[in-house]
Order: sequence, then structure tokens, then C-alpha cells
Amino acid sequence: MSFFSAIRWIIWKDLLSELRSRENFSSMLFFALAVILIFSFSFSTDQEAVRELIAGVIWVAFGFTAIIGLGKSFAVELQNDCLEALQINPIPKGAIYLGKLLANVIFIFSVELLLLPLFVIFFNLDILEKLPVLLVIMIGGTLGLSALGTLFSALTVQIRAREVMLPILLLPMAVPVFIGAVEATRGLLGGAPFAFYRPWIDLLLVFDVIFIVVSFWVIDFVLDA
Amino acid sequence: MSRFILWLRRYQRWFGLAGGLCMTAGLYLGLVKSPPDYYQGEVVRIMYLHVPLAQTSLFAYATLFICSVWYLWKRDPVVDNAAHAAAGLGVFFTAAALVTGSIWAKPTWNTWWTWDPRLVSFTVLLLILIGYLMLRMFIDEPERQARFAAILAIVGGVDLPIVKFSVEWWRTLHQPLSISPRGVSYSTDMLLPLAIMAVGVSLLFTYMLMVRTQLLYLRQLLEAKKGRLLSKAQL
Repeated sequence: MSFFSAIRWIIWKDLLSELRSRENFSSMLFFALAVILIFSFSFSTDQEAVRELIAGVIWVAFGFTAIIGLGKSFAVELQNDCLEALQINPIPKGAIYLGKLLANVIFIFSVELLLLPLFVIFFNLDILEKLPVLLVIMIGGTLGLSALGTLFSALTVQIRAREVMLPILLLPMAVPVFIGAVEATRGLLGGAPFAFYRPWIDLLLVFDVIFIVVSFWVIDFVLDA
Repeated sequence: MSRFILWLRRYQRWFGLAGGLCMTAGLYLGLVKSPPDYYQGEVVRIMYLHVPLAQTSLFAYATLFICSVWYLWKRDPVVDNAAHAAAGLGVFFTAAALVTGSIWAKPTWNTWWTWDPRLVSFTVLLLILIGYLMLRMFIDEPERQARFAAILAIVGGVDLPIVKFSVEWWRTLHQPLSISPRGVSYSTDMLLPLAIMAVGVSLLFTYMLMVRTQLLYLRQLLEAKKGRLLSKAQL
């Protein structure tokens, strides 16, 4: 099987099992709803405060949601020894990584798309003409979180206390992604000129590339049978 | 027993001795002989501890990184023991650097904590090191523990410069640092004790690393022997 068809099969497998069980998607969505609800209680919702905080609120909610989804990404493979089957499969480990990564991005990004209207309603945002740039930032941030998260998910699924260890390892490492995504979102929603926050979007994409390349390089050692 | 471990055992005392001498001389020069700072007064003397500690925590991570790459390459368990030891010491030195920095910040910057780029980078460094040790705690099988820990250390080693860069950018886009220790330029009276202390603390780290590597090696050896004895007893 060629490298790219292996990636396609992994994505197809993940999407199909998700379509049938809807486990991952629903747990991410309802967890995120609870987070947003708590946020709307925790902060005063007058417009001045919202403008200051909204970028951070959005990305904390997205980040927590991503952790739920990323943890499940490899945890589902434990049933019926599917993880071992993946490990001894004669396809490149990098293809497994990239397939899982893209499937995770698809899941997390679609949950984020569903959450966006809720932010607009709960926090009274005006994002209609800013939507294309916002989507680019969301994809950039989600890709960066998933790049490291998929690697650590593959790693922590093979140890004890995996639910605890994934965020402990992922969150400090993902600091650059959070900074880039939050600053770009803050600039966009705060009404700054595009040239002002454009560097953050570029930087976010650079981080994504670095994290994907590094993870792609070390995944062989993680999935070593 | 590994030849490397025997080498460590033979030479460790010289590193300890040299480190102790350097630190004694450095502390005497720094705390007694060197003049107080023109702006900061006597407070500046914590620098002779803080700066070497901070440098040594980066030295510790560099050691961890190199040992981890080496381990994945050669799969030598002793190198993994050294990496493990370096991470544990790294937590100690990084935490000590943060605490002494915080104590220094109170009289000079009038705050215990500020979101200065270096402070953030060192906090992330500390969190990554603690995560590394926790990861090792949750894996029983020695080979897998060593392999996963090495992967984490390598990813962290790539991540740390990015963290430093992004945090620096994040703060400078917001506002220039209004208070910075870089305002102080060093005179030779201060540079000499600082340099001696830097060498001394690095030697202290090397000495502790040598001792701790042996400790972890022996502990692993003991576990293996215990396992063999238990399986023999069951037969």
C-alpha cells in the first residue's frame, strides 16, 4: 500500500467508526458546551470585558475540547487490540501518524465550527465579515494542537494514567500555539488592521510545520512494537 | 558492571572537590570582596547564585537532550540512567533559579513575579521536566520507559527554543520591558566571582549527575536481580 493511500485508509477508518459510534464527537461537543457555560458565568459579560477576554475564552474552550478528542483518538484503538494491529501493520508509522492527525483535525475543527455560533450568541460577537480569517486561525491552531496532541496521544495510550498525562505533557509544549492563536484572534476580533496580526498567523503556521515534522520523525519510536 | 559506571565512580570525587573549591572561592569573592552595585546595593549579591543556577538548568536540559538522542540511537541503558538523572537535577536547578530570581525581583522590580519572557520560558522548562519525570513514573517496563522518556525530551528540546521565541515576541509586541536586569553592565570585580561561581555550580551539577546516574543504575540492577530471584523461587 502506498504512503498516501495508507493515510487515506486511516482517515476513512476513523471517520467511519466515529460516524457509527459518535462517541468522540458527542463527548467533545458537550464538554465544550459545559466549558462555555461556566465561562459565561465566570466573567462579567459587558462588552468592554468581553472584548478583552474573548480570544482567550475561545482558545481555552477549544484547547480543552481538543484534549478530550485527542485522548480518545488512540484510546479507541485499545479495544480488540487494534493498537497492536496498527503497530505490526507493514505500513509506515508516519502514515499512521498523519492519518490520525488529519482525522483529529477534522473532528476537532467540526466541533469548533458548531461552537462558534454559541460564542456569537452568548458573548454577543460580530464576526460575519471576519469569518474567513477566523477560520484560517482556527485551522492553524487546531493543526498545531493536534500535531503535538496526536503524538502524545499515541504515547500516553501505552502507559498508566493516560487521561492525566496527556494534558500534563501537551499543555506546556503547546504554549507557542496558544500564544499565536490567541494573539491572532485578539487582533482580528478587536478590529486591528490585518497587517498588525498577520505575523501571528504566519508564525502559527510555522509552528504547525515544525511540530508536524518533529512528531513525524519520532513517531517510529512511539509506535515501535 | 558497566565500564562507564566504574569510570564515574573513580573520578566523581575530583569533580565534587573542584566544584566545592570553586563555589567557596566564588561565594567569598561575590558575597564579601566584590563591591555592592551602584544602583541595587547589596541586593545584587544574589546574582552570584541566581545566574549560575539558571545557566546550569539549561546545561541540565542540554545534557538530557543529548543523552536522549544518544539513547534512541545506541539503546544503551546507562545513557538512559544519565538522562533520568539529568532531568531530576534539572527540576532542582530550574526551581532554584526561579526561586532566587523571584527573591531578586522583589526588591529590584518591586514584584515577586512578572510575565517576563525568560520567566515564562523557565516556567515552561520546569513544567516539561516535571512532566518528563511523571511520565517515567507511570511506565513500569524499563525499555519502554527509557524510549518514551527520550522521545519526550527530544520533542521538548525542539519546543523550548520555540517557546522562548514566541514568548519574547508576545511580550515585545505588547510593550517593551520597562525593567530589565540587562541595564546592569558588569565590572571585572563582579564578572570574576560570577564566572567562578558559574564554573563551580556546573561542576556541582556534573558531580551530582555522576552520583545520581550510578544510583539509578544500581537501582535498576537491583530490580533486575530481584526479579530473577523471585522467578527462581517460584520455580
